[in-house]
Amino acid sequence: MALRLLETILRRLLSVLLVLFVLSLMIFTLARIVPGDPARMVLGPSATQEQVAELRTEMGLDQPILTQYVTYVGKAVHGDLGQSIVTNRPVSRDIAEFLPATLELVLVTIIIVLLIAVPLGVLTARHRNTWIDNVGRFFSLVGVTIPSFLFAVGLQLVAANFFPSWPILGRVDYQLNAPDGPTGLLLIDSLMSGRMDVFADASQHILFPALALAMSGIGQITRITRSAMIENQRRDHALTLRSFGVPEKVVTFKYLLKLSSVAPLTIMGLEFASMIGNAFVVEMVFGWGGFASYGLTAILQKDLNALMAVVLISGLFFIFANLVIDIVVGLIDPRLRLRGGTA
Amino acid sequence: MSQSTPKELTAAYMSWYRFSRNHAAVIGAVIVISVLVMTALAPWITPFPDHIGSVVDFRNRHAAPDAQNWFGTDKAGRDVFTRTIFGFRVSLMLVVGVLGISVPVGAVLGMSAGYFGGWTERIITGLTNVMLAIPPLVMALAIGNVLEPNLTNAMIAITLLWWTWHARLVYRITVSIASEDYIEAARLAGASHMHILFREILPNCVAVISVKTTLDAAFVILFGATLSFLGFGVKPPTPDLGSMVADGRQFLPEKWWEVLAPGFAIFYATLGFNLLGDGLRDMFDVED
Amino acid sequence: MKRLLDVQNLNISFSGYGRTQQVLHDISFCVNEGEQVSLIGETGSGKSVTAKAILGTLPANATIDSGSIGFEGMDLFNLSKPDRERLKGTAFSIIMQDPLSSFNPVFRIGTHLDDVMRHADRRQGIPDSAKGRKSRIFETLRKVQLSDPERIFNAWPFELSGGMRQRVLIALALLHQPQLLIADEPGTALDVTTQYEILRLIKSLVVEDGLSLLMITHNLGVVRQTADRVLVMQHGHMVEQGPLQRVFSAPESDYTKSLMAAVPPLYGPNVTNQPVSDKAPIITLTDVQKIYKKRGLFTQGEGHLAVDGINITVNEGEIFGLAGESGSGKTTVARMIMDLLEPTSGTVTVSGTPSENALRLSQIVYQNPGTSLNPKRSVQQILDVPLKHMGYDKPKRRARMEELLTLVRLPVNFLSKYPHELSGGQKQRVAIARALAAEPKIIVLDEPTSALDVSVQRTVMDLLLELRDSLGLTYVIISHDLSLMRNFCSRIAIMFKSRIVEAGTPEEVFRTAKHPYTRALISAIPVISDAEEAQKPTVTDEERSQFLVANTGS
Repeated sequence: MALRLLETILRRLLSVLLVLFVLSLMIFTLARIVPGDPARMVLGPSATQEQVAELRTEMGLDQPILTQYVTYVGKAVHGDLGQSIVTNRPVSRDIAEFLPATLELVLVTIIIVLLIAVPLGVLTARHRNTWIDNVGRFFSLVGVTIPSFLFAVGLQLVAANFFPSWPILGRVDYQLNAPDGPTGLLLIDSLMSGRMDVFADASQHILFPALALAMSGIGQITRITRSAMIENQRRDHALTLRSFGVPEKVVTFKYLLKLSSVAPLTIMGLEFASMIGNAFVVEMVFGWGGFASYGLTAILQKDLNALMAVVLISGLFFIFANLVIDIVVGLIDPRLRLRGGTA
Repeated sequence: MSQSTPKELTAAYMSWYRFSRNHAAVIGAVIVISVLVMTALAPWITPFPDHIGSVVDFRNRHAAPDAQNWFGTDKAGRDVFTRTIFGFRVSLMLVVGVLGISVPVGAVLGMSAGYFGGWTERIITGLTNVMLAIPPLVMALAIGNVLEPNLTNAMIAITLLWWTWHARLVYRITVSIASEDYIEAARLAGASHMHILFREILPNCVAVISVKTTLDAAFVILFGATLSFLGFGVKPPTPDLGSMVADGRQFLPEKWWEVLAPGFAIFYATLGFNLLGDGLRDMFDVED
Repeated sequence: MKRLLDVQNLNISFSGYGRTQQVLHDISFCVNEGEQVSLIGETGSGKSVTAKAILGTLPANATIDSGSIGFEGMDLFNLSKPDRERLKGTAFSIIMQDPLSSFNPVFRIGTHLDDVMRHADRRQGIPDSAKGRKSRIFETLRKVQLSDPERIFNAWPFELSGGMRQRVLIALALLHQPQLLIADEPGTALDVTTQYEILRLIKSLVVEDGLSLLMITHNLGVVRQTADRVLVMQHGHMVEQGPLQRVFSAPESDYTKSLMAAVPPLYGPNVTNQPVSDKAPIITLTDVQKIYKKRGLFTQGEGHLAVDGINITVNEGEIFGLAGESGSGKTTVARMIMDLLEPTSGTVTVSGTPSENALRLSQIVYQNPGTSLNPKRSVQQILDVPLKHMGYDKPKRRARMEELLTLVRLPVNFLSKYPHELSGGQKQRVAIARALAAEPKIIVLDEPTSALDVSVQRTVMDLLLELRDSLGLTYVIISHDLSLMRNFCSRIAIMFKSRIVEAGTPEEVFRTAKHPYTRALISAIPVISDAEEAQKPTVTDEERSQFLVANTGS
């Protein structure tokens, strides 16, 4: 048993490495076929041909792609992701600075999604084909039919019109002199250092961007939860309990809910990719100085090292999130625990 | 329960019954058809078909909705209603382009992986897993940037990622079908791999694929709108729902109509496809 | 005698797709205190709906049109909801049918048991602690012969064998000493010997505690073992009821008569002995062994021994039966004969020349006609595949299809039908036609009738016998159903734990079975007459515990 568990874990790690390898190779090749010389972009149009050639050698651009890739990976495993041509700093430092903001946004979003979607899914399944179901289904439909950027713009409009004092740009009021570290997640840092004023202000700031980002997830997860509940309600095991008079509430909230949480959790894992993508838009609209904003700039400025790092970190984030979800799902369903992952 | 489905009920009748009793699905179908009709007849049903070009009418810029311009005009004095209707064209072109390629490709790869197993399976599922780990928007932006930010490249970028979802779905179904007795029976009767893939397995995937494709149409519209909102869409002055929202956003909240019409149009089209997809799912009785 | 359950003129209909279908027509019967009643019926007879109506677990689309169900003088349909709930599990309870899906897979067995007991306690006003409940549950688990209640209580559903889960389901029904036990086809999904143990257990529990039993089943042999009185249902009508002796010795309705006639006899004058063929051998297996290799990072090299030391010779024109329970290795042997699997060691020789144009010597007819025909392809399309491969042109194929349908006794207009438009027996005939289309010399029959109702089984087997005679085929049939093989096979071999433990003509095997497992297997077959029961081989309790409990206990 223990051997099988170990094997499962090893298999997962192996597949993670494989995914990372293919992903990095793909992005690397993509980044190298960019029309336009990165060295030229760094130096600007006024630089001489010699200067450009010199920088190309320095950046290793004159070597074959494979050599470049090996060099890159060699450095990357030591945490050196190269230099950003936009910020003129090591990319790793940029990431360290910008990632926590996005992490915070995404974590709060996930909490909002789970807090709203799961109860709503259970509620609509329990009251199937009643007005409660119809309202809930319409709400979840709105979630999946309206793009994040429209929600973002709409929420800003609402705030501007009805709550003029509510902050709609940035992470925190700069005059508050927010604590810096240790986690980089403002909500946690402020709590740790006892700065309730910062915590309150940061909570206000994060509410609307997180809501805008959560809507599509809420729509998806509500639907999945609802259909999983309905599917499981029809199963024999629910009939077993009912036949012996176990109250419907216990059947629903204890037995069916646990079984039905596997599907939405798995989907949640897959939704991470599009959530990170949507974060690009939401961060832009709300001026949220995060990783996604950094990525967007990197893309627009053809900042290759930064771009590469952004895609890799996004992929890593996705893989890590799914690993966590696999573990959670394994805790819920003993059959999956022994069989290995789902993704 | 066999007792509840008497013999004379044919599968087609039961499917139609489920669909027609589902009012939401019927509404979805009506919306989708209306979008298709509006798109096809755009030059004849819009008041200012020439406003999709580089028309500038500064005397009439930012005009509020009135009898002439139902949804007002934009920063160049162009009719928002006309441009919104034409904006559907870009969205639908994207839908047809992306799904027209990625659905068949995904289906064939998914079937092959599930049926042949071995290295075919390992390579295709491995590739799918890698592709799923990339945020689609990031990938699209990166490709759009590497090449050139325009509609064709956006389409290529989305297509490159989209097939994976269909491959995953079809793969899962195929794996369960491949072990069915009728597949082995066909092989024992001398059927070729081609026959088994396209005649035995594919017909069993059609229902699921069509549900997924309908729901995907909505996602592609959303996705395309998001890309063009970020400036990776069609070249101006061609109207496009996402870029119209981005343009109008600068004049919020005073000139709200410039965002409202394209914003609502996105909602309308995606709502239609979603309702239709849900209805088809009930009709074919397939799981999520 | 006191009336416990009294069903009067019950009419129930189901609605769906805008139509209403009546599924129970004026059903009336009663169960007296301490009485054991069997409700017999085939698929769609309405027997399960009747049980659900008593329990109060009818689906939402069911309507009770008229009639009443009385329990100890109370009218169940007039009780308030809490009063009705109070009866569940205490006045009457059900032994669920399918041990695989009857437990929620993400909860431990003990959680199910405890919740059922806790809520029933609460309704009854019995105060008890978690500890007290646990000891009562353990007691009930021991009562159903689960000797390690602690392990069962903490196990996940998937960790138990089918037989153990079925015992837990029985325990679930016994937690509060109900007066009436309703058993819905208990053990049907399990092996014959396990099923036999389950029936013995239910019977002894009912007798010990003086419970009343309503047994729902399609198996007449089971009825003979467990019932005082018999109810026969067909298409929602009660066609016959009466004491067991009377119904079995002198059935009144035509339907009961046909049911009785369809049961294959084990002993006596009605048994058919198939002639042994003295033609040349067509299939020869010599010292065949098959090991399935498991692939894993750490577990490489380990393998599962599926079959070992198999020696079989099948002569042309024979009907060779390979009997055994699930996991005995019989399917592996069949697949090696089909050349779908390579033996790990030993040789499999299939001699003889294929028919002209035919791809191969052997074809197969599968167990479940529901999954052996592609639901998206019409009969014509299904038959077209092998015929095309035979190299026939279009008019020839069409002619051959009509010929094949006639051979399997189906009307020619069935060509345009899809599988869902056919009944189970018709589907199986199409599957036989498909196998015949490839013009094989050997047909492997993989449990060809186990998914069919008894009355249909008979007609399919008769058809297969006719086809063998007219087309000169050789059959290899694999099955767990020895009563079927007794009358159908010219020679049989019994497999147990990867090996053949007994072989010979059915007559020899049934009369002088040497291996204790064979004897246990034969004695577990439910028969419908005392005369046959008396001729079964005897098995000592020691042998039984060695070959049955060991088999189900894992």
